[in-house]
Amino acid sequence: MESRLLTRASLLAAFMAGPAMAAPLAAQTTLDVAIIGEADTFDPMMSTKDVVSIVTQHFVETLYTFDSGWNVAPLLATEMPQISDDGLTYTIGIREGVTFHDGSSMDAKDVVASLERWLEVASRGKLVADKVASIEATGDYEVTITLTEAYSPLLSLLAFSNSAAAIYPEETIAETIDPVIGTGPYKIAEHVPDQYLQLVRYDDYSSRSEEPDGAAGARNQIVDEIRFVPVPDPNTRVEGLLSGQFDFADGLPAESYDRLDSSDVADPMLLQPFGWPVFAINHKEGLLTDKTTRQALQAALPMDDMLFAAFGDDKFFLTDGPLYPEGWAWRNDAGAELFNQNDQARAAELLQEAGYDGTPLRILTSRQYEFHFKMAEVARMALEAAGFTVQMDVVDWATLGERRNDPALWDIYISHSPFLPEPSLTDMYSKTSRLGWSNPEKDEILAEFTSETDPEKRKELYAQLQGQVFEDVGFIKIGAFNALSGMAEGLTGVTETPWPFFWNAESAE
Amino acid sequence: MARYIFKRLIGMMIVIFIVLTIAFIIVRLAPGDPATLMLGPDATAEDAAALRQRLGLDRPILVQYLSFVGNAVQGDLGESLFFNQPVTQVLAARSEPTIFLSLFSLLIALVIATPIGIYAAYRRGSFLDQAAITTAMLAASIPSFWTGLMLQRYLATDLGWFPVSGYGGPDTGFLERMRYLLLPSIVLGIVNSALILRFTRASMLDILGEDYIRTARSKGMGERRVVLRHALKNAAIPIITVVGLTFALLVSGAVVTERVFNIPGMGNLVVSAVLRRDYPVIQGALIVVASLYVLINLLTDLLYLVVDKRVKY
Repeated sequence: MESRLLTRASLLAAFMAGPAMAAPLAAQTTLDVAIIGEADTFDPMMSTKDVVSIVTQHFVETLYTFDSGWNVAPLLATEMPQISDDGLTYTIGIREGVTFHDGSSMDAKDVVASLERWLEVASRGKLVADKVASIEATGDYEVTITLTEAYSPLLSLLAFSNSAAAIYPEETIAETIDPVIGTGPYKIAEHVPDQYLQLVRYDDYSSRSEEPDGAAGARNQIVDEIRFVPVPDPNTRVEGLLSGQFDFADGLPAESYDRLDSSDVADPMLLQPFGWPVFAINHKEGLLTDKTTRQALQAALPMDDMLFAAFGDDKFFLTDGPLYPEGWAWRNDAGAELFNQNDQARAAELLQEAGYDGTPLRILTSRQYEFHFKMAEVARMALEAAGFTVQMDVVDWATLGERRNDPALWDIYISHSPFLPEPSLTDMYSKTSRLGWSNPEKDEILAEFTSETDPEKRKELYAQLQGQVFEDVGFIKIGAFNALSGMAEGLTGVTETPWPFFWNAESAE
Repeated sequence: MARYIFKRLIGMMIVIFIVLTIAFIIVRLAPGDPATLMLGPDATAEDAAALRQRLGLDRPILVQYLSFVGNAVQGDLGESLFFNQPVTQVLAARSEPTIFLSLFSLLIALVIATPIGIYAAYRRGSFLDQAAITTAMLAASIPSFWTGLMLQRYLATDLGWFPVSGYGGPDTGFLERMRYLLLPSIVLGIVNSALILRFTRASMLDILGEDYIRTARSKGMGERRVVLRHALKNAAIPIITVVGLTFALLVSGAVVTERVFNIPGMGNLVVSAVLRRDYPVIQGALIVVASLYVLINLLTDLLYLVVDKRVKY
């Protein structure tokens, strides 16, 4: 009897103590990373979601990537490509000695097959597909891309981890790729949907030798394992981080900043700025096809109030008009005087000039992102003060995603985006996007911008393009906002980026 | 008896068929398209249309329905649009945490509620009775997400006694996984103990006023025996009913708690599936939950037979 009691007591003790009682693993270091949800696919060609990028970049690689200054840098390519003077031919050397996780070595044939699939299935690949005449293996380790017209964003598209031009073994290329086999520093060990994705070090990884710089340079595999844990509830991510259960947690609520800051277990990581909220405008149908009405809309909006309502504390936002933040090559002031006018009287005049008849302005938004909804609420009050009749259509994100494809259903929809390394990665400038923004002057500037290869000239053209955004009210940037993540004390080597990665990360545990 | 069970099983199938038909219609009436969601914010309408075609979502609704019913009858609930796994497999993986969570919380609720309920009825109007009723009301009124957050913050984050969330990583064994369920079980246990306490008390009060209890007492039977042997046995039927219902509700309705504690159970799955418009998973989960509900009801009714010999079917 006594021994049974003892057994029970020790079982209970083991149960309560949990991992503390378990035998320590032989110096195995694991990073537990809480992410906002499950990646729907491990094939980054097929999705433009940030969570897919974050996870997949650890096991799938591209020819190019970005350094800390958001310049394109080689990854699987040996170096930057040789581009012909007319900008039509890109000759890309491929690194030798790189192996996929199935053990096969990568050569030009894999690259050609992968890029051809990218042009066919990936949203961003399709952007260039009609400009690509051919992709050929011009050597065992050399690929030549020939374009029908010069297209300068090509390298940025090849470098982006989102709708990525991922390189797969030729044999695995199919409509759907399963399992996903890449060349990354970590490989998939186990995936239990909605529970965790376990990545382990890929021992035969062939790293670049340059100093790490952003996502470029050497990718050192310091920790043995990375586990991505989808945790949809933001408070649970905070508690998990503060309890030591997670080493890194992404997408934390702004209110948790002070708790993280005063904690001796974890630190806040403020990515400033992270991105920009945007009011996307329907140029295809309805009220806002009229330029003067759009200008009235732009004149009425109080960006300060909207951002304050949405983010609560100016630690988390910046009322900033230019489309790129301070410190970026694309930064310029063209048209920015039209930002944050907060002038409802002027808006009322413009509305009168436009002959506004009281037709409701339909704002499509969701509460999945609470800050969208809060911005919309403040905007509504200002717009009504200017004389607009406003109709708020508040739906869930899935519904918004569907409705915005039908121009008959909305005038404005609210979204947000991280600042992207190359303006053309944002499709809102293009007349074929769901906004349908088009005028002869803007279309011409855009065409020139995407075919110009000289960086300085591109900057000038971009300034003209930004001027058009304000002048013609193509879409409305509300400001810039910061994103809060958190990491365990002692975790080092994590670069601040909207798509955090954990090669080069080192845990003090 | 066998006839009764057979009749109930037939009824059960009809209920499930109705549930699955309603589920099929409702999820398709909801706006929002799984293909657009899967591809991410920057995908074009053309991409979404192509994916819809690949997933078979562009077929006429009736064709989709007939193929769904035809497959469901053979035990094939289709493939999850998001996980590329059979729905049965997805559901099987999620049922373990939910069932254990429900069982744990029911156990906690019973351990708290039955003795207090019995004692409160026995000492009707006493301080303890009043205190029990007030506490039960409080427990039932506090939202479970709040209790969850508090327990998470103080017991898990500050004191570090429990994991904050999840169901264990790749190297966690069964016992460790169960440890993850303790806090959420307490949350649900507290909420449900209020209901069971009030039922136990009310049911005991009814019985304690009956003639045969007075007779038993007048014959000199000890109080403990009167209450526990005579009264409790007869008060058990309504208690069993409420316990059965509570269990069924737990299995189907631990949504908020599973969400807060990030437990990969059925409740959490259904919420995610709705947000993702993963039609086959929503349908499959509803079928499983409806079946469980009906099955638990049947078991509850059969349990009456064991407890009370007067009950005949």
